[in-house]
Amino acid sequence: MEQETFEKELAELRERLEEAEDVRRAITRGEVDAFVIGPGGSGRVLLLANAYQRYRQLVERMSQGAVTSTGEGHILFANQRFSDMLGIPLAQLYTAPLESYVPVGDRARLSTFLMVSARDSRIEVELSRRDGTTIPVRLSLASFADGYASLLITDLRPMQWPNLALDALDSIRRSLEGLNRDLAGDGRARDALRNISDEINGLARMIDEMLDVEGRKPSSA
Amino acid sequence: MTPATTDGAGEKWNLKLYTAGQSPKSLAALDNLKRVCEQHLAGRYSIEVIDLLKNPRLAKDDQIVAIPTLVRKLPEPLRRIVGDLSDTERTLVGLQLTQRK
Repeated sequence: MEQETFEKELAELRERLEEAEDVRRAITRGEVDAFVIGPGGSGRVLLLANAYQRYRQLVERMSQGAVTSTGEGHILFANQRFSDMLGIPLAQLYTAPLESYVPVGDRARLSTFLMVSARDSRIEVELSRRDGTTIPVRLSLASFADGYASLLITDLRPMQWPNLALDALDSIRRSLEGLNRDLAGDGRARDALRNISDEINGLARMIDEMLDVEGRKPSSA
Repeated sequence: MTPATTDGAGEKWNLKLYTAGQSPKSLAALDNLKRVCEQHLAGRYSIEVIDLLKNPRLAKDDQIVAIPTLVRKLPEPLRRIVGDLSDTERTLVGLQLTQRK
């Protein structure tokens, strides 16, 4: 009995040692790019590249869909917005072929786009939603690196235009805030920036009011 | 040590891949995993992707410390493979789809 217990403990220890060795090997070979830190592995994720964290936040906040796919069009990542556009849970999108969400008539064009996307950086197709409806979208190639294509998906339905305008204004506003900090000592530059800022805020209010009057705030889908 | 292979023809394979959003290694891991599964487990596997940037608490379930990490839930016993799965041979050994040479 004692021998049996000893062998069981030995097997467990050997397994734990192998796992630790596996982690060490993966780290030294550069195969990991994030760690889970905190008590009991329940804390937070520490990314090795901080810049990616900011990029990630931007991708999750924007009103455009974002997808990263293989050259063959298999989805490796999608943001929540893209999931909303399709009406399909995010978890079901991983590894699915992008073309399965495009009507048959658009598939050949999509496939060609993914193959030669370095030359032809945008395409307009329909997206098939789970409820059977379709929506017109523009696929733009944001980058192509390491064999993976990062695509931005813009909803082309007219009701989404105010959303896009508000996004653009928001982006300009953030840039201006950065400039304002950088030019803290230059009074004239700060005045000019303040004027531009006021105009942008005015435009944003106008868009908001237009949407209120028409009673059709842009939908999330 | 030479682990026995768990070919398990007809057996359903349940795999969980813990990722950090679209970090380069996470993308590579999912791409490599998909390829291995299609070649060796076609039609009898499911991959669940757990994005720990969205919900880091889920790391506790499978004691994840580094990302990406693949966890084989089924068939038992549970197996973990840390890294981007770029070494196909090691992935196959880790999943017990082939024997260590």
